[in-house]
Amino acid sequence: MSAVATLWVVKYKPRRFSEIIGNKAAILEFRTWLEKRLKGANVENAAFLWGPPGVGKTLTVEVAAIEYNLELIQMNASNARSRLRIKRILGMASQYLSLVGGRRKIILVDEVDGMSGTEDRGGLAAVIELIQQSRFPVVLTANDPWDPKFRPLRDLCKMIKYDRIRVTTLASYLKRICTAEGIIADDSALRFIAQRCNGDVRSAVNDLQALAQGRRRLTLSDVQWLAFRDRQYGAFDVLKNIFSAKTCRGAKAALASSLLDYNMIFQWIHENLPLQYTSAEELAEAYEALSRADVFLGRTKRTQAWTLLSYALDMMTAGVSMVKKGRYRFTKYQFPQRIKILSQTKDVRAIMTGICAAIAEKCHISIKGAAFEYLPFLRIIFESNTEMAAGIARWLKLDESMIAFLAGSFDKANEIISLMKRRRST
Amino acid sequence: MSVDATMLLWTEKYRPKYLDEVVNQKDVVERVKQFVKTRNIPHMLFAGPPGTGKTTVALALSHELYGENWRQNVLELNASDERGIQIVRERVKDYARTMAIGDVPFKIIILDEADNMTADAQQALRRTMELYTRTCRFILIANYSSKIIEPIQSRCAIFRFQPLSDEDIAARIRFIAEKEGVDLREDGLKAILYVAEGDLRRAINSLQAAAALGVVDEKAVFRVVGRASPVEIREMLHLALSGNFIKAREKLRELMIAYGLSGVDLVRQIHREVFALKIPEEAKVKLADRIGEINFRMVEGADEEVQLSALLAYFALFGEKLRGS
Repeated sequence: MSAVATLWVVKYKPRRFSEIIGNKAAILEFRTWLEKRLKGANVENAAFLWGPPGVGKTLTVEVAAIEYNLELIQMNASNARSRLRIKRILGMASQYLSLVGGRRKIILVDEVDGMSGTEDRGGLAAVIELIQQSRFPVVLTANDPWDPKFRPLRDLCKMIKYDRIRVTTLASYLKRICTAEGIIADDSALRFIAQRCNGDVRSAVNDLQALAQGRRRLTLSDVQWLAFRDRQYGAFDVLKNIFSAKTCRGAKAALASSLLDYNMIFQWIHENLPLQYTSAEELAEAYEALSRADVFLGRTKRTQAWTLLSYALDMMTAGVSMVKKGRYRFTKYQFPQRIKILSQTKDVRAIMTGICAAIAEKCHISIKGAAFEYLPFLRIIFESNTEMAAGIARWLKLDESMIAFLAGSFDKANEIISLMKRRRST
Repeated sequence: MSVDATMLLWTEKYRPKYLDEVVNQKDVVERVKQFVKTRNIPHMLFAGPPGTGKTTVALALSHELYGENWRQNVLELNASDERGIQIVRERVKDYARTMAIGDVPFKIIILDEADNMTADAQQALRRTMELYTRTCRFILIANYSSKIIEPIQSRCAIFRFQPLSDEDIAARIRFIAEKEGVDLREDGLKAILYVAEGDLRRAINSLQAAAALGVVDEKAVFRVVGRASPVEIREMLHLALSGNFIKAREKLRELMIAYGLSGVDLVRQIHREVFALKIPEEAKVKLADRIGEINFRMVEGADEEVQLSALLAYFALFGEKLRGS
């Protein structure tokens, strides 16, 4: 295996039926059909594996190719599926033994529901023809086989249904991967990943890799932001709909029709106003509207008079949208920095308050005053003068995290702390 | 001159212990000394700009009255930090319950930043003051005496502290530099005076931070204060006025996070800085009006970052108009 980062979905891809998790009955049904088909028994020429994504449909066929020593001929929705192409490739493959060692073949037409009516003109007919003429087993896969256009296909195929993988099964599979990678993972964390993947193994393994690679330990709080990410996802569209609305009603509807929390959208608007509006006039007007919305939000919260909320929503949607002087300008929106900053700085704030309280006690000043009158100077001292910093740190009884905060780097902080220790021991 | 070598922030290390060491404020000091001589003081209100010696005089007075045991007879409270008047009353009550130690028949309560208390809280404070007049004397400290309600003012002897002159500050800075073995250059001293604007605490902090870098010359001082808040606030305003809103907002976030400044702190600082900007005088009035509106919205409970961003957006528009005219 190369030293380059490998996708875990590839690295841990099952090579035996026994390694595939879930859908045992479906796999057994498939194998029974396949074995009969290979022996030339009177069964359907093709199998149609259907079910949600990431549950092992394609994998079943790939593993079958290994276990039964078949040459896998594969096409999927990303290939152009003109009738001609299917005919040429699949037609050849269906008529002759493999040139390499004369192996038998298995023909996989993946994701047939990805075939579109116009682009794959005649594609469906070609697939039907293939199924009828092929000497080798043909397998189709799809998420949803119930489109009326598949009806003739369904009649020709052995239909096998795949289910979502159960959370427990999926979580224990993730656990095996973690063990193999030398990661200690909390069960709650793995269950969380499994749950939100909706029984999709592929996406669960991808998420696990994104979250766990390079860690020694994986806890619930390490993975919880995933949920946050998902919830944020729709915000881009809501923003675009608000800003591009031509009428007040349209702008209001953009927020109302989304399932997203208005407080969150408020933060998104705040973040993206200067990106959306580059003229000073539009920006100032839009911010005035947002500022008014903010005032209404505050009043609503304070008085608990929720009827006031609608005015806030008016200002933050129609208010910021109607200020545009020309047409909507496409804008690449960005994730609110503020939500990120706040979560990053919660600890930092506590540390800073601690430092200021220590100064306040010694220097006859308020905590707020200390932040303003002393903190900037202390930072310079701690960044540049280890000796002076060590003395001050001892005098103010600062702990290590406070010293690190002021010094701005762990290296500098360590210098200061070790000097303090040396002095204490002498 | 007594210098406590264990105090490592120079503002504390060189804080005068006795009234005679206090820099300037001659009138105040002379009168306060009379109180010490008679071993009796009234309630007092010290009013004046930051860094002019209000707290120092209060502490030195305590020191002279009680000698080395002064800490047992003095309660220091800060109105900005104590949560509500209720807490202040409780602490005063507990403290006033016991008699003073020594030959002075009362204890002293120093209430710093008293002008940050609401009018209601000050009314409550007034009752507390009356209740314990027999055993306690209050020294209230404020930047603005006008923000202290009349009934309290009328019960206090009011002392106004003057901004320190450059000569006074220069003498003190030279003294500290010599004691600390700092290589203080003439242009460095000038720079300190410039940034201190009559605030000795700021001058001393600038000196110490610049000394941490090495030689204290003009460059070092401006490097130091370039990182201190008012300069950064000015920079933020300049960014906004020159139309660079996104950078200005970044600066705003940095200030709120790095210095832990609240929105109300910031808006007050902005208000102060506006009058130092190089823009037409009538423009300053317009901006001040806008700042007032934003301040009001924040007081009403609105979101500080959003309100300040709206203010910066207004500055950006304003800057554009100024350039256009």
